[in-house]
Amino acid sequence: MDFDFQPLLDSWVYLAGGLGLTLLLSASTAVASAVLGAALGLGRVYGPRWLRWPIVFYIDTQRAVPVLVVLVWFYFAWPLLTGWSLPPFWAALLALTLHIAAYVAEIVRAGLESVRPGQWRAGLALGMSGAQIVRRVVLPQALVRMLPSFGSVLTLTIKDTAIAAVIAVPELMKRSETIAGQSYRPIEVFTVAMALYFIVLFPGSRLIDALYRRVAHLGRS
Amino acid sequence: MTLDWSVVWQHRQDLLQGAGLTVLLTVLTMAVAVPCGIVLALMRVSSSRLLSGASAGFVEFFRNLPLILVVYWAFYVMPVLLHIEFSAFTTGLVALCLNVSAYNAETFRAGIQSIRRGQSEAAIAMGYSRWQTMRQVVLPQAWRRVLPVLASTWVSLFKDTSLVSVIAVGELAHVAMQIRSQTFRVLEMLTAMAIIYWLMGYPQAKLVDWIHRRFEVKE
Repeated sequence: MDFDFQPLLDSWVYLAGGLGLTLLLSASTAVASAVLGAALGLGRVYGPRWLRWPIVFYIDTQRAVPVLVVLVWFYFAWPLLTGWSLPPFWAALLALTLHIAAYVAEIVRAGLESVRPGQWRAGLALGMSGAQIVRRVVLPQALVRMLPSFGSVLTLTIKDTAIAAVIAVPELMKRSETIAGQSYRPIEVFTVAMALYFIVLFPGSRLIDALYRRVAHLGRS
Repeated sequence: MTLDWSVVWQHRQDLLQGAGLTVLLTVLTMAVAVPCGIVLALMRVSSSRLLSGASAGFVEFFRNLPLILVVYWAFYVMPVLLHIEFSAFTTGLVALCLNVSAYNAETFRAGIQSIRRGQSEAAIAMGYSRWQTMRQVVLPQAWRRVLPVLASTWVSLFKDTSLVSVIAVGELAHVAMQIRSQTFRVLEMLTAMAIIYWLMGYPQAKLVDWIHRRFEVKE
């Protein structure tokens, strides 16, 4: 068996562009789903009663349906329903955000509920309003405790962006497929793609673990 | 726009078969990945540097790769490396097993390490062998902590089986997308696919929540 990495050397700019798009899509998804997920999580814990069950239903629905299904639905079916078609990147961003926000919402809920109720009562006894207690007592501790879970969702996000290749977003996975198909060198190309994903993902998760170890004491109570 | 939902009913046999294959893939993968996970976890906590390093390398490698890439890689590389032609189903199964074994290994390792050292030291002081300690003291307790996590992994796995559709394994996602391209009833088929996944996945997600509540460890 002989290996030939020439096709990769010839198209490394193309592949690097794919890696850039993977990172861009991951970052945008992470930000958007952090915002949506925080809103859902806060709404579930502190929102009015009538708002809770739709949120729970939404979260559990996203937990039940594969992200691939959400992706292809928004790319292929959504335009037929609304007459408004989304370019692949935006369809991927929308679908991934809707899916991952549900996971973020669960993390936010668990974080908020991990702060003992006695602290809430103490805040009230000191004359603080509900919003003040959330902002100044609960969130500072909860955010630190959520950090490791946020780290795993971030790596999950980067891994899930690879599924966007199915709707032809030209990110790392899709471009590897293209090069592999054109050069008939799938082994070399996919192995290099694996190495690239690993280089992004492994230090990323390590970094967040290290950060957590430094700030973990701030979340103690 | 005219919708024709009868297409879903006409292809109910195929969809049902696809759903069956999705369940089969999930069950088979878990059946392989639980023993593999236990072996990897025992390797990881063993005193041999070589075993523990090999296990850590395997686990970290597959936990940090997108599953869809592992599926493609298995599809193209396995036949060349091993000189055997695998069916798409076997290839998909291997990729899923590699991924889930890595996750299960971490789950079991965390479960084993959650049992305080004092307990295994006490067992050894009472004349238990290392293996007896593991089997009679550590594992029975670790099991309760491991089960909820395994349940969550199960649901993720159930959803991840959809990714082997890219190498044409005839599970639910692949079947539904095939019918979509044959009949051009895109909206109907993709919505039906989402609903079938939902019908199967929603009770599982609820069951996982129940297991988490039931086995919650209060320290």
